[in-house]
Amino acid sequence: MAELNETIHQPVRLRIMAALVTLESADEVDFTYLRDLLEVTDGNLGAHLRKLEDAGYISVNKVFVERKPHTYVSATPEGRQVFQEHVKALESILKSK
Amino acid sequence: MNISPNEAEEALAAIQTMTQKTRHSIASGGTYITLIVTGIVWLIGFMCTQFLPKEITGYIWGGLSIIGGTLGTVLGFRMGRRVHSPSTGTIAKRIVIFWLLLVFYGIAAIIVARPTDGKQATMLIVLFIMIGYLAMSLLFSFASVWWPLPITVLALIGYFLLPDYYYLWMSILGGGGMIVLGLYIHSRW
Repeated sequence: MAELNETIHQPVRLRIMAALVTLESADEVDFTYLRDLLEVTDGNLGAHLRKLEDAGYISVNKVFVERKPHTYVSATPEGRQVFQEHVKALESILKSK
Repeated sequence: MNISPNEAEEALAAIQTMTQKTRHSIASGGTYITLIVTGIVWLIGFMCTQFLPKEITGYIWGGLSIIGGTLGTVLGFRMGRRVHSPSTGTIAKRIVIFWLLLVFYGIAAIIVARPTDGKQATMLIVLFIMIGYLAMSLLFSFASVWWPLPITVLALIGYFLLPDYYYLWMSILGGGGMIVLGLYIHSRW
């Protein structure tokens, strides 16, 4: 049976993963775009991304575009799998209601 | 970790909302910019065509097409930076080739059809542009596929029912309609 994941269940991290998993598997999203999408501050998003990165659920790619630093974020295969298991666990809890 | 069914329901709702928001945001990103840029070009271009002499309007359309094309490309690239995809380069090349071929076919169709007046030629160009936008919408975001259809219907109504005010009609309802639609999509999504 699928189990809940404590790292992902935090509301902001849950929404981050939901947004990243919606993208195609090889796609990555710009930090500022993700910030605007989630309606959170830079600091708040940065802190949650670090936790997800430490857990191996996302990868952070820092590149220079026209001499300006850009940070791109994507869900790792492990992150996608853990997120799907988390969703299944939530659904099974709801079914047992 | 244990949570109540109510908490599980809330979490699932949050996931669903975020998934829809992300999909709409990606799908609408290019659409609203395309609509606003094309709308401004049409609004100014058709308004000038209705009221100014023919000798000047050719230059105005030429200038507007260059400005609109450049603005659309620059803003398109900026929007493209939001989501990085390994296939972006290939897709961009295909889009450019598609539009170049559509321009070629459009010119060929006009040469073959030999339109008798400017309105006929304009209507053919409008139809080809709308075919292009429909193809783009179908390929990249099915959510935004609907908008070229009402614009085409409006253009046909103006062409057949209001021939004397066709350019004014296209300016206000075609161009203005696209700007309003673009702003609506941007504010809603």
